[in-house]
Amino acid sequence: MASWYILQIALLLSFTTSLSLSYDLLQLQQQQQRSSLACLKLLRQVKGKPENCHQDRIDFKFPEEILQPQQFQKEKAALVIQEMLQNVLGIFRKNISTTVWNETIVENLTDELHQQMDHLKSTILQERLEDKNMTMRDTMTTLRLKSYYWRISKYLRAKKNSICAWTVVQAELIRNFSIINRLTNYFQD
Amino acid sequence: MLASLEAMALVLVAGAWRGSLAAADGKSQKAPETVEVSIIDDVFTLQWNGSQESVGNVTYSADYATSEMDNWIKLPGCQHITGSKCDFFPLINFYEEIKFRVRAEEENSTSSWYYVDPFIPFQKARLGPPEVRLEAEDKAVIIYLFRPGKRDGTSIWDMDALSFEFSLVFWENSSHGEEQEIKTNFYISKMYDLSTETTYCLKAKARLSWKVSAYSPVYCINTTAEHKLLPPENVTFGARNQSYVLTWEYRDVNVTFRAQWLHAFSKLTPWDNSNEWKQIPNCENVRTTYCVFPQSVFQKKEYYFRVQASDGNDTSFWSKEKAVQTEMYSTILPPVVSMKSTNDSLHVFVKAPKKQFDTFTYEIILWENASHTERKLVSKRSDIIIPGLKPLTPYCIKARVLLQDKWNKTSVFSAVVCEKTKPGAAASIPWVIPVIVILLLAVIAFCVMKLLWKCFNYVFFPVFKPPCSIEHFSEQPFGNLLLSTSEEQTEKCFIIENTQSVIIVEEPEETDEDYRKYSSQSSQDSGNYSNEDESLGNQISEALLQLKPQALSCPGELVLGLSSLGLHSS
Repeated sequence: MASWYILQIALLLSFTTSLSLSYDLLQLQQQQQRSSLACLKLLRQVKGKPENCHQDRIDFKFPEEILQPQQFQKEKAALVIQEMLQNVLGIFRKNISTTVWNETIVENLTDELHQQMDHLKSTILQERLEDKNMTMRDTMTTLRLKSYYWRISKYLRAKKNSICAWTVVQAELIRNFSIINRLTNYFQD
Repeated sequence: MLASLEAMALVLVAGAWRGSLAAADGKSQKAPETVEVSIIDDVFTLQWNGSQESVGNVTYSADYATSEMDNWIKLPGCQHITGSKCDFFPLINFYEEIKFRVRAEEENSTSSWYYVDPFIPFQKARLGPPEVRLEAEDKAVIIYLFRPGKRDGTSIWDMDALSFEFSLVFWENSSHGEEQEIKTNFYISKMYDLSTETTYCLKAKARLSWKVSAYSPVYCINTTAEHKLLPPENVTFGARNQSYVLTWEYRDVNVTFRAQWLHAFSKLTPWDNSNEWKQIPNCENVRTTYCVFPQSVFQKKEYYFRVQASDGNDTSFWSKEKAVQTEMYSTILPPVVSMKSTNDSLHVFVKAPKKQFDTFTYEIILWENASHTERKLVSKRSDIIIPGLKPLTPYCIKARVLLQDKWNKTSVFSAVVCEKTKPGAAASIPWVIPVIVILLLAVIAFCVMKLLWKCFNYVFFPVFKPPCSIEHFSEQPFGNLLLSTSEEQTEKCFIIENTQSVIIVEEPEETDEDYRKYSSQSSQDSGNYSNEDESLGNQISEALLQLKPQALSCPGELVLGLSSLGLHSS
């Protein structure tokens, strides 16, 4: 009889400790999703009316292994998110986007992306950065992501930062943030 | 016949020989050996060793192909090269596989292709040293760093601009110059508190993940003579009401000041027009050594501030930059609290007024409306259930936000909210205790029931009969006593021994005192009994002692099978 009660208490204790450990991850997940939401809001504030840019549409070939719902560890998910945020930032730095957005919007977007990258670096990726042994597979994923963003940048340069080119890229970036939100689910391991 | 055969053989041999010659002419070159591609920043270098057998004017040509195209493309700058290496600057996707092939040529003949194993340029590329530009002030040196690679937007390192780290070595170019090693992510650094009119030198190397470059060449510069107008000192930052206040110190009067700000992350990106210092509104040409500006202008997390003095003709150098984390200074507004009451617990909802910062901790103070003893709770969640409260009692709550990150900042307390708990049912949490009590009661009830059942059985279905001796005295003729009583006695004894719990009953005429006499007698006499009966005697005495006569209401007879020996003797 007594042993049954002890078992119950033990179960209750382990449940609460696991809850407290994962709570920070839950907060991080919510915080990342809030940040993505802020970025999406900024991305949607284009000046002028949206034009019909269907003929400029192109498949930039986002890496398949990130889209498929395979099991990611939370560090890998954070690493992928970090790489994505860094490259989205790079697109706005390298290419003039003032044909489509106000400067303040771009500045706010830049700041939000920087802030989020900082946050990831000081939480999940804290130990990761000190351990330089990235596995081969992680490197390949990073390379494929960089390749994808390189194609977007090349497209913008080829189209000379036209409104239609940026509109196509805007749609692609909006899709990026929904992928990021899906990746935050892996924070719960 | 033989001669014609010989002739034919000769012709055949000659033909074959000529054929082989012709073949040798077509592929007289051997393919180049050990072709290697090395990449430093944006420069690809193809190197090979010509085969030793080649004589004369041999040239080499190379092609490349990427995974996105199917055919081989001639490599510009690497066609018909006489040496053994060539440089080229492809504008390709550096993150996709590329392959090369090289062959030797001489006049009309070409060798077979030597194929280089495909690789990903970004992985193979090595870092070149960074570029440095120095700018001198009177007591400071500004260091502008440039990451390796081209800066026209087509470099292999373009997409990693934010990930570079630099290691600097800085020293005074004199006999006692000590080397200072600095690690930084910033593209702009400043070395302060230097001597005027002195030469300082610097060398730097770049790092990207595990790629490290060699040190750059040494750059040196002379600091200027002391500038007349000194820069402002001791720049401090503070908050007051809903504004920020920037203050500084300056000795002279008759100067005006202006203050500028910068996003902290600007220092992480290569310097260009987009990340320059900006003027703070209300802080241009001010005569006071402070300026006030609203908090709403600076809502991001980290900034740098600097101040400069001017006397009309001349401006000073910029003051030391003040790094500010606005979280430290901004006032946190109090949260809004609401409550819902359940049986004996309260469900509290805390809502932060604005999602300024990420990690909130709430401190909740709870007290009963009547008393003043307060209970403090700290929680990270914005909805909390407080259990274990008294039902039908009004409780009051107030909460405040704690930022426990670095500076232990708190907001003021929210408004007080009071709520009465609902009438309670059994407490939900200490459910273990009632269950244990119930179980104990159940066990006790079971024992009592068992006891009652035995009584019942004894009363209505008595197992024990009067002692054999008495019974047989009353029923049977004396003559049969000797034979039958002994049997029945043993039978009786057998029956008695089977009953563990002995039911002692009161004879109607006997009083309590007599009863006690029996008990004392049986205990005293227990020593006289035989061994087999001793345990039984103990049992009887125990039973007598345990069960009070008053408790029993069942009439009956004392077990006399045993006491027929002892009791009757009294």
